[in-house]
Amino acid sequence: MSDQDLQVRVIAELKTVMDPDLNKDIVSLGFIKNMNVTGGNVKFQVELTTPACPVKEQLKTECETKVRAVDGVKNVEVEMTAMVRPAEHSQPILENVKNIIAVASGKGGVGKSTVATNLAMALQMTGAKVGLMDADIYGPSIPQMLGIPISAPKGGADNKFFPHEQYGLKVVSAAFLSKEGQPLMLRGPMLGGIIQQFLQNVEWGELDYLVIDLPPGTGDVQLTLTQRAPLSGAVVVTTPQEVSLIDAEKGVRMFDSVKVPMLGIVENMSYFVCDGCDKKHHIFKSGGGQTLAEKFKVPFLNEIPLVGEVVEGGDKGVPVIMADPSSPASKAYKVLAGQVAAQLSIIHSQEGKPAASFELAWKG
Amino acid sequence: MTEESSTSTTDPAPKGIRQISPTALGITWTDGHESIYGVRHLRENCPCASCIDEWTGIKRLDPATIPENIKPVNLKSVGLYALQFFWNDGHDTGFYSHKLMRKLCQCIGCR
Repeated sequence: MSDQDLQVRVIAELKTVMDPDLNKDIVSLGFIKNMNVTGGNVKFQVELTTPACPVKEQLKTECETKVRAVDGVKNVEVEMTAMVRPAEHSQPILENVKNIIAVASGKGGVGKSTVATNLAMALQMTGAKVGLMDADIYGPSIPQMLGIPISAPKGGADNKFFPHEQYGLKVVSAAFLSKEGQPLMLRGPMLGGIIQQFLQNVEWGELDYLVIDLPPGTGDVQLTLTQRAPLSGAVVVTTPQEVSLIDAEKGVRMFDSVKVPMLGIVENMSYFVCDGCDKKHHIFKSGGGQTLAEKFKVPFLNEIPLVGEVVEGGDKGVPVIMADPSSPASKAYKVLAGQVAAQLSIIHSQEGKPAASFELAWKG
Repeated sequence: MTEESSTSTTDPAPKGIRQISPTALGITWTDGHESIYGVRHLRENCPCASCIDEWTGIKRLDPATIPENIKPVNLKSVGLYALQFFWNDGHDTGFYSHKLMRKLCQCIGCR
């Protein structure tokens, strides 16, 4: 009998060896590695899913006994190895998304969600395919700002679900996961679970830009995202006051320490233009965002004025950039979108880029 | 991290990662440096909270408890700043930042 025929018989015999935990035979499970059959000498490895497998010895004995009983086999050598299969990261994440932009702030109340929403809209209005992920689990406000009624997302195959669509934007939000007005009260591990779902289970389709509205601060959600999602860059939103700038600085440092490129700093509520004159009234001081950007040598993307239409747009569910494209705020958002897109292009064109996400299976 | 200047994206990052031998890992960095690591050396320097005390920074891992045949089974990137090793002793909680990987380099120049 040829070696190859013998190998087939050996494999057929091994198909009767079951893994008691997984309830499947070890051949179908792909445990048999590096099989070598030469002149009746059979050598192979059994690769278990954990080195701590409680039935390791039992499986080894069963393999040896059964293979030795095959006609034509003179000698059997079985080596037990293990390949721990990582449970969480195995699925590819956001494969069809070209750019992932995190919008963050150190402090709450600086208008981060408003900036994220209008930035996403401004990018979409240039003709790009844009998604918006409301990752502010505790205070999701994007559905309100876009006028999307709260309803459960449409489910698809394999635990996937579809984003809501409004004004050409694809939107996911924690608000859709609870009843209207009900708080989501969660501890850390649950938060991580929701973010993981947003990253893995949403049928985004192809996107040019995915804008992620982060919760304020430097906590669980930020860390999960920076560890799991291949972020292209981050935008930090601040207001001109010192108290906001102090925390914005922490946001910048957080992205620095996890190597997410800073696309730049946006100063929101920078100035007020009243209807009587064209003078810019700097109600909350001026120049803070610019100074912060200079301090960290990151781009200052733009300043967004404080105008009533922004608030009204947010409350009515029609972002200012759609409701009143000629408003100074809308113009500022268009400039912001252009700056963000430009910074992303610069990052993409950099030479000697580090390896994007990778995985290496160890051999031998 | 250097203060008052953002050097993050210009800090060297791995460009190419490969297995050199059954027990050696090689990394080519964006600044051109070529690192080499013995896998045992990497396991012994795991930065996770069960190997290094989180508050005191004192090493809690006794290298003698690491199996003789220690090897990674798999390794992968964590975000844009670190590597994670899945070891054949079942340990996988360490995130090795790029900075730490540079520190652990065992090439002739770094040793």
